[in-house]
Amino acid sequence: MGLKENIQKLLKEAEVYRKQGLLNEASEKYTQAEQAVRNHDRIQNKEKILAGIAKKIASLLSDTQQVERGPSSPELSEKAQDLIQKLFSFSKSESKEEAALEGAIALAKFGQFERALGEFRKLIDTDSHRVVAAKNVLRCHIQLSSEEAAADQYEAWAKAGNFPPNQLAKVRLFLTDILESKGIQRDLTTISVDEETVQEAEDEEFIDISSIGIYFNSGPAEGKVVEFDVNFQSGNMLSLIVSKKDAGTIEVLSVDDSLNDLQFFSPIAMFNGSGVVTAKSQIKSGPKQGDYCLDIKITSK
Amino acid sequence: MAIFNLKKREIECKIVYYGPGRGGKTTNLEYIFKKFSKQIEGEMVSINTEGDRTLFFDFLPMGLGKIRGCDVKVQLYTVPGQVQYSSTRKLVLRGVDGVVFVADSLEVRREKNMLSLKDLQKNLKDYGLNIFKIPLVLQYNKRDLADEGIPLMSVEQMDKDLNRQLKAPSFPGSAMKGTGVGDTLKACIKQTLTTLQKELKWAQ
Repeated sequence: MGLKENIQKLLKEAEVYRKQGLLNEASEKYTQAEQAVRNHDRIQNKEKILAGIAKKIASLLSDTQQVERGPSSPELSEKAQDLIQKLFSFSKSESKEEAALEGAIALAKFGQFERALGEFRKLIDTDSHRVVAAKNVLRCHIQLSSEEAAADQYEAWAKAGNFPPNQLAKVRLFLTDILESKGIQRDLTTISVDEETVQEAEDEEFIDISSIGIYFNSGPAEGKVVEFDVNFQSGNMLSLIVSKKDAGTIEVLSVDDSLNDLQFFSPIAMFNGSGVVTAKSQIKSGPKQGDYCLDIKITSK
Repeated sequence: MAIFNLKKREIECKIVYYGPGRGGKTTNLEYIFKKFSKQIEGEMVSINTEGDRTLFFDFLPMGLGKIRGCDVKVQLYTVPGQVQYSSTRKLVLRGVDGVVFVADSLEVRREKNMLSLKDLQKNLKDYGLNIFKIPLVLQYNKRDLADEGIPLMSVEQMDKDLNRQLKAPSFPGSAMKGTGVGDTLKACIKQTLTTLQKELKWAQ
């Protein structure tokens, strides 16, 4: 194939990839075309062609940045929110409240926190779902506004006296964990109840987590969320086995490191939280020899 | 998972279109929406970005009429293909009964296909589902680009990359032109209903 045909082919490919939305692939072909043009002196209008290609590459770069910057959770129409609530409630056959809870959780997972807040508030009146609804109301406040707003909400509940003491205590413990992990000093109204019993109940109630997403702000996975399977869980302690081929990724983690922006995935819900690395070691023998064991304690959810 | 109303003899199942970003999942549903209008039972809903990339999901409800005495409804979904939306993919995949994996035939997307299939396997596993057992059909999309001289992988190569162990039905196609779209969907529906019949024993 002659030089001209080769350049035309590269440009054509680049244009097809661009139209397909394959911006990186398009950019690569334009770059190859640019190089082919640069490497040969006897091309007519060489500078003009190079300028044209440079313009295309710049446009692609702008498009790529726009895509990467794209909205993570835009506010959707009410119709779309209704659909999310309907399509992602899987407990219709069990109970209305369970379905409502799932629908509200689905809305939150899709970033529709205002709407989710409204739906969770409706469940506060239901005794069986009050605590889980309250926790999710607080999560929504944190996402929409701040931890202070969540604390204000808690105080409003404490003042209103709608919560049985043991339920309010559970919500208080939950919120205290969050505030402490964020270094926020705020005294929350305490209703007298056996907190040790409540804490034990909280530990037992810990949801089964199947995998965890860790955001890395340094190292080979910088700027990315990497998901790891949870191999073992005891309450709020998670153990992950990390393959030796991913050793580079977790190299940046050390014992006592705080991990913010963790994503916890369970069969019924996904939630964000934080944790701390409590142990990290390489497995010396057995079928997993060479892999790493990473223990993470969840400090807030 | 499928919803079976024994009293009304109605069954509703969920088929998810999975695959790498920009591979043609949404285009498949758009074609189905246009061409199979008699079976469509509502609007196609697409939640996407300004650049027309699927952000959350596409949704298309279909009614297939009575099959073996049961009113069969199928809900088609697509997932967002971009890597950063992995948690949304997992959400949308929940309760899936059948999968259409839309692979991109472009040579430059070879690795993305394999990574996406691996991602599917992992997400299914997290829901206690086995990729080797779930109703699954592969579509090798964008075959029409061969006419424009764009380097494509051969169907044989794609089968080798993606289907060597799965041995699932595979269909070459072009979602833009509509070729293979209907065949892919029919095959997936057939597999899904066969599996559901065995599990739920709803056939009269």
